[in-house]
Amino acid sequence: MKLKSLIRHETFLAVLLVVVLIVLSFQSDRFFTIDNLLNQGRLMTEIGLIAIAMTFVIATGGIDLSVGSILGLTAILTGVFWQNVGLPLPVAATAAIAAGTFAGFVNGVIITRFRVPPLIATLATLALYRGLAEGISQARSVRGYPEWFYVLGQKDVLGVPTQLWILLFAAVVASVILAYTTWGRTVYAVGSNEVASRFSGLSVEKTKLALYTASGFAAAVAAVIFVSRVSTTRSDMGTGIELDAITAVVLGGTSIFGGRGTIIGTIIGLCLIQALKNGLSLAGIKGDGTIMLIGAVLILAILASNLFERSGTRT
Amino acid sequence: MSNSTAYVSLTDMSKSFGGVKVLKDVSFDVRPGEVHALLGENGAGKSTLIKMMSGLYTPDAGTITVDGRELKFSTTRDAGAAGIATVYQELLLFPELSVAENVFLGNYPRTATGIIDWAEVRRRTRDLLDQLDTFDLDVDTKVLSLSVAQRQRVEIAKALSKNARILIMDEPTASLVESDVQRLMAVVRQLRERGVGIVYVSHRMPEIFALADRVTVLRDGAHVATRDIGEVDENQLVSMMVGRSIESLFPKAQASIGGTVLRVTKLNHGRHVRDISFALRRGEILGIAGLVGSGRTELALTLFGMTPATSGEIEMEGKAVRIGSPRQARDLGIAYVPEDRGLQGLVKAMAIRKNVSMATIERLSSGIFIKAGEEAQRALDAVKRLSIRCRNIGQPVGELSGGNQQKVVIAKWLETMPKVLILDEPTRGVDVGAKAEIHTIMGELVKQGVAIIMISSELPEVLGMSDRVLVISGGQITGEIDRADATPERVGAAMTAHRSGEAA
Repeated sequence: MKLKSLIRHETFLAVLLVVVLIVLSFQSDRFFTIDNLLNQGRLMTEIGLIAIAMTFVIATGGIDLSVGSILGLTAILTGVFWQNVGLPLPVAATAAIAAGTFAGFVNGVIITRFRVPPLIATLATLALYRGLAEGISQARSVRGYPEWFYVLGQKDVLGVPTQLWILLFAAVVASVILAYTTWGRTVYAVGSNEVASRFSGLSVEKTKLALYTASGFAAAVAAVIFVSRVSTTRSDMGTGIELDAITAVVLGGTSIFGGRGTIIGTIIGLCLIQALKNGLSLAGIKGDGTIMLIGAVLILAILASNLFERSGTRT
Repeated sequence: MSNSTAYVSLTDMSKSFGGVKVLKDVSFDVRPGEVHALLGENGAGKSTLIKMMSGLYTPDAGTITVDGRELKFSTTRDAGAAGIATVYQELLLFPELSVAENVFLGNYPRTATGIIDWAEVRRRTRDLLDQLDTFDLDVDTKVLSLSVAQRQRVEIAKALSKNARILIMDEPTASLVESDVQRLMAVVRQLRERGVGIVYVSHRMPEIFALADRVTVLRDGAHVATRDIGEVDENQLVSMMVGRSIESLFPKAQASIGGTVLRVTKLNHGRHVRDISFALRRGEILGIAGLVGSGRTELALTLFGMTPATSGEIEMEGKAVRIGSPRQARDLGIAYVPEDRGLQGLVKAMAIRKNVSMATIERLSSGIFIKAGEEAQRALDAVKRLSIRCRNIGQPVGELSGGNQQKVVIAKWLETMPKVLILDEPTRGVDVGAKAEIHTIMGELVKQGVAIIMISSELPEVLGMSDRVLVISGGQITGEIDRADATPERVGAAMTAHRSGEAA
């Protein structure tokens, strides 16, 4: 029953995505071209990586609002480690990713050890990490990265943007983990009933700690790709990206109360948002209008999926 | 049997959910000033019937006649207006509001200017509570600080505030201790004398024989019989409910008792586990009796590692062990089937298969991947072995009846091959048939050498199933009684006993 309704939601989303693509391609002949679509893929990779980790977090009934700030912090640290500390760029980037991952780990510790609700804990670290990023950067931006670094964010591999390969790889690995491993099972169990999971001897705390750490890692990797894509480092990078990621996850059918959700749903949700953003701007609709439309699509998708579920089950 | 005096009559009521007929042409009536008991196993259609009476469900077919007029209820408000009120099993009060606010919620008396007349609300609430002989309950207390029994009386007062002529009580004693049960029964008798008709849903036979004037039995959504209580005895009622006769209520299996498997010495945790010492032997059923709040469940939680012991020793098969988490308890061979099945025992939204494997998921995997085939096979075996009634192992556990849900929890823990199985209220909210099945399962387990600790509020169950009874009061052991000496009087006396050095 549950599985059926999930498939229904994702089928519905996929159909919606196709409809949106068709409608948008009639609005502007620049929309449905290989070049444009691949470029959109490039643009959605950062949100996508974060959304994949966020799917796990939300499926346990949690949330991570600090990912945008972790992205900003990691970006700044990459620049600072490379330019000011003088580390070689690969070492600097790796160290920055390690710092971002650690920031996620700190979230996990606050949530599991001190039992602070995830919403509050990550709201606090959202401010904390952003403040840290701004303090370190002193409002200076770092530019002038070596040419090879832009392969990650601006060049192609086998005709497809480099970072899109990373997103694809992450999505496949995450899907397998969520669907077929003990870890994925624990995520769903904790999201459906945390108390019963604990009473069943599942390692609830360890799992959550790992998830928030992974969420920090995803945001940190996204940061390095972001820097490579825009050739510069600023401390306000990634502001508000958490909302885009959460929108994609929820649109993709993950329950905000936990217990259900899939990676494929998240990816479709992500594509839908990106297509709307791009297509509408090509069709000459202003940014405000696009945001409103995305809000409306979100509400409609949730309503439709609730409708399916109700007609399918007894209570 | 004539309906002429009935206040409410339901005639040929039917209801289906998603193509499944859960109620088939059932007729039922209630007269003023009678207690009409409604009996049936879980899933027999009792709750569907009372939900139609109280306006929560609309019947597919059938008529409701109130005081001679045929009515249609589309909301609970309609039923309320017709004088029918319901006290549900899960009490529907607002914990943050006061007693008085709850009683008149949605129905507040107002002053001439249209403002809520709080003085009147409080005065009338006091009046209603006094009528229920509940002089000890302050109308300004927040409901969250009340006991279950007190909340129930608030619910009854709320029903009376709407001048209910018919009061439906859904398993009102399911979570009450004995003294509160007596008090509730007194309230029910008093309401009957005032001419209120009462629909009394319960599994407990003694209450039904003490209270009811008539009894109606449902089975599989159909009406089996309506009788005056004087015409039937307990065995007849049970066989009407289950459609077969149950030979013995507590089939005590003869198992050979072996060596000591668990020994606990001076175990402490907080106020509710104090200096507990006992030994448990292979093949033995150790019953734990005690009032609610005596520390029975807390002892189980400490043994299971949820609330690790602060001092004292635990020995498993002669080796001293420390139990700091349920995982450790599980790995040592201790399993716990918790008291609150829905919250602690099951992930209701998940399939039977996934619930059965939940405590053994690491063992069912190679590397990090779950071996789906083996998992399914084990779940199928468990369903067969414990005769869990379900469509298939992919069915969400939440859709099963209480008894079958409980069997899934037991199956989950049997997968861990426990040496010590702790069962906390194993048959609460379980119908008669499933109860006997669970007792049979316990018998088979002890024959295989498993040691069982059984916590139960039901004294007949404790006395019927246990080889030895441990009585707990105020967090301490107040009695250890062998099966041969365990009489209700002795166990009951120990349950209310206080050890020296105890405040109050």
